[in-house]
Parts: sequence; C-alpha cells; structure tokens
Amino acid sequence: MNLGEKIKAYFQEAEIYQTQGLLVESLEKFRIIEGLIKSSQNIRNRDGLLEKLSVRIESLKKTIQRLDGSNKPPEASPDAQSLMKEMYSFDDPAAKGSASLGGAIALAKFGQYDKAIEEFNRLLDQDALRLDAAKNILWCWLEQNYADYAVSLYQKWRKAGMFPPSEISVIQNYFNDLIKLKGLNLELEIDGLESQQTVEPDSELDEDELLDINSTRFALPRGSREGEKIEMEVSFQSGQYIRMIIPRKEKELIESIKPGDLFKDMVFYSSMAIFSGEGYVSSRSEISAGPKKGDTSLEIKIIKVVS
Amino acid sequence: MAVINLKNRQIECKIVYYGPGRSGKTTNLDYIHKAFKKQVVGKMISIDTEGDRTLFFDFLPLGLGKIKGCDVKVQLYTVPGQVKYKATRQLVLKGVDGVVFVADSLAVRREKNMISLKDLHENLLQMGLSIRKIPLVLQYNKRDLEQKGLPIMSIEKMEYELNRQLKVPFFSASALSGDGVGATLQQVLKLTLQSLQKEFNWAQ
Repeated sequence: MNLGEKIKAYFQEAEIYQTQGLLVESLEKFRIIEGLIKSSQNIRNRDGLLEKLSVRIESLKKTIQRLDGSNKPPEASPDAQSLMKEMYSFDDPAAKGSASLGGAIALAKFGQYDKAIEEFNRLLDQDALRLDAAKNILWCWLEQNYADYAVSLYQKWRKAGMFPPSEISVIQNYFNDLIKLKGLNLELEIDGLESQQTVEPDSELDEDELLDINSTRFALPRGSREGEKIEMEVSFQSGQYIRMIIPRKEKELIESIKPGDLFKDMVFYSSMAIFSGEGYVSSRSEISAGPKKGDTSLEIKIIKVVS
Repeated sequence: MAVINLKNRQIECKIVYYGPGRSGKTTNLDYIHKAFKKQVVGKMISIDTEGDRTLFFDFLPLGLGKIKGCDVKVQLYTVPGQVKYKATRQLVLKGVDGVVFVADSLAVRREKNMISLKDLHENLLQMGLSIRKIPLVLQYNKRDLEQKGLPIMSIEKMEYELNRQLKVPFFSASALSGDGVGATLQQVLKLTLQSLQKEFNWAQ
C-alpha cells in the first residue's frame, strides 16, 4: 500500500468511527494521518491538507470535551422520572419501607435534583420520614454545589424549630460529615452558639460586572400560581441586589415568594442585553411609610449569571 | 426481580442490555421496537443527549402473551455505556432477571468490551448476583463493518476474550439492520424464563 492509499484508508476509518460516535478513535486516526502527511514532503497541496486536518482535529477535540465535560444531568421527562422512581425498591433499607422516600432517593441518584427536592419537601410533613427527607434535601443541594444555600436552609429549619433537638442534632452531624467529605470550609455554628444571621449564598459576580437591570422574570415557587413565570420591574439596584415592589393587593403573589427562595432560572432585562442567571430572595418586607406604604418590598441577590 | 403472581398467572421480568458505550444497545431496542410492534405494550422511553448517547436508560415494555398458561410481560432496559455513568448502571441493573451483553466487534473497542464486562461482573456482585448464574447472552455486534473495510475482531477472538470462562450463548449481529437482534432476544428470554421456572415453578 503506498502512502496515498494508506492515508485514504485511515481517512475512511476515521470518518466511519466519527459516524459511529467513536470520537476518540476517530481523533486518533486523524492524528495518524496528520503525522504521515507531516513526515512526507512529496504530497501535493501538503500545507492545505494539513490546515484542513487541523481544523477537523480541533473540532473533534471540542466535541469530545463538550460531551465529556458536562456533569450536570438534564431534567428528564415526567414519564422517565416516574420510571426512575420505580427503580428504587421500597424493600431497600434506605427507603425505610416507603415507596415515596425510595422514589425520591432514586430521582436524586439520577441527578434529578429539583424533582427529588420537591418530593423530599412533601415528606417533611411525615413524622416517620422527615429526618431522612431533610438529610436528603441537604445532600441534593450540596451535590449541585449550592453549599451556602444548604447551610442557610439548615439554619432556617433550626430557627423555625422544625425539628426537635434530638433530630436537629442528627441532621447537624450528618451535614457536618457531608461538608467534610466535600472538603468544604463552612461553619454551621459559631463558638458553639447558633449563628443569629442566616448565611446568604455568595455571589459569583463582581458588583461592577452587572448592568443596570430594568426588570426580571422568574417562575413562582409555590401557591396556586406555582410555575407561572412573572416579570417584575426593578425599582432599585445596588450591586448584586435588586429590589421590586409588589402592590399590597397582590396578596397571593406576596405569599408565594419567601426569603430564602432560590430561583435557578431567572431572566434579567437591561437596556443593553438580556441575560439569564440565578438569584436568592434575601428579604421581603412591608413598606411602612411613604407613598408605597402597605406594599411589599422584595429584594433578590443575583448570585450567578449563566448567559 | 421478577414479579410473579401465580394466582393470576402473570409474570413480569426485567432484561438489561449492557455493554460499552456506542456498542449498539439502544440500536437493539430501536430495532425491537420497530420490528416487534405487536408485542410492544407501552411507550418506548429513551433518554439521550447530544450525539445520541444514552444518558440514563432506554426502556421498552413487551407483552409476550400466554406462555405455558402464564401471561408474560418483559421490560427491556439499556444502560448508558460511558464509564462515568457507573452509578446509573447500578441503579438500572436493580431487579434484573436476564442480561444481554452487547459487545462491539470493532478491533479498536477490544479493551472497552473487557472493561464493560468486568463492570457488569462487579455490579452484579454488589447486588449479590453472580455473572455465572444470571441468564446471560453475548451479542457480537457491528459484524457488517467488516464489509466497509474496518478492522473487526473474529468471532473466535471475541469468544476467547469474553466468553471462554462464562461459556454462555452468543450471537453475531448487526443491530442497525436487525441481523441477530431477534435471535438474541429470543435466547435471553428463554434462559430467563427457564431460570424463573426453576425458582418459582410458574409453568403449568
């Protein structure tokens, strides 16, 4: 086989591997072809061929990186999530004989964290299962790298007296072990005393990075309008904090948003760009004086901009 | 674990298609879905991502009708083949009654086949099952690629590397065209139902 025939054969192989989705194998073959062409001076249009190969190789490398790099599993369809729930038998000790707990654990193991947290939150109302539900909620947030949010949630439970002392102690020990396992440097308590201030999630942004935001859109997390996307005008912005006014007549809207809520799918509108990101409700309070007296001021801290 | 209701004469069992990434597991189920329409009793669910790589699993429910007086239903699943989805494979394998190991006949995938078979062995062990005892069929897929000039391993070589100790039934296949897909499925069903008969004595 002469050089030309060899290159042709390797090229054919590389192409078929690529159509098969065997991208690493395809890349290897293209590299071999590149090596063969580089080592020979007698190839017509050598530089042109090398340039085209280089583009092909780069494109393959980027695709491989993109396919291998994504760690966050996408949201599966409701049918698929139902199947996932069935895969975890309620005979399994971790499920404690509960199909609901087992199903929620299965969703979490499949990386369907939002759906899993929704199911675990429902189980917080059940005495026999709430401890396991709480532990799994914290695990889900940590898996998604929302450690600060998990801490604020734990502190919220503690302040609200949601669990008796014996249970909160179990949750604290479990949480501390998880944090250590993840190699995180977080404090749940300071000097042995409960921290009086809720920890807000850190923002990934510099204050200077953010454009002036005119309005924002996000989905309501609870209530009869749960899931409905609403847009609110921003009345005031200071760095990463944006403030909106909700008229007093919108009682349902006011009640459906609480401090501590995390919105992972927000859209921000500025005069120069539209971008999406994540925000955390840092406060909600009734305005006590002035022309807007009786209305509610809602403050959101922007913690991430994704596009 | 098979669901067996002797009173109502109903059996439901689970078959998992295992193997390295891109070996043809989903293609097997796609073909079965198209070719055995009468036996398909529900929706096929496929969860994949860019490049058609299975992300979580594929699922296809079949109804085989009455066999020896029992109404037999089968759930076919595939696992994601990429190495990083080990935890998902463990979840999907839960309750498995029979396995089809889809091996890639391409010479460049030789090592991937062996790594994946070892992965199956380890996952079954963790579940208290033995790869030597579970109903298992090997499928040597992509035999057609030899005609396109690609180096593929001979059946003898694949048998030596994957099956010399297991000694389970094997089939050549080309899942894209359907060659060998039906025969593989038939054999794994036969082995699975025989195994369930030994355990539960379900047949009339």
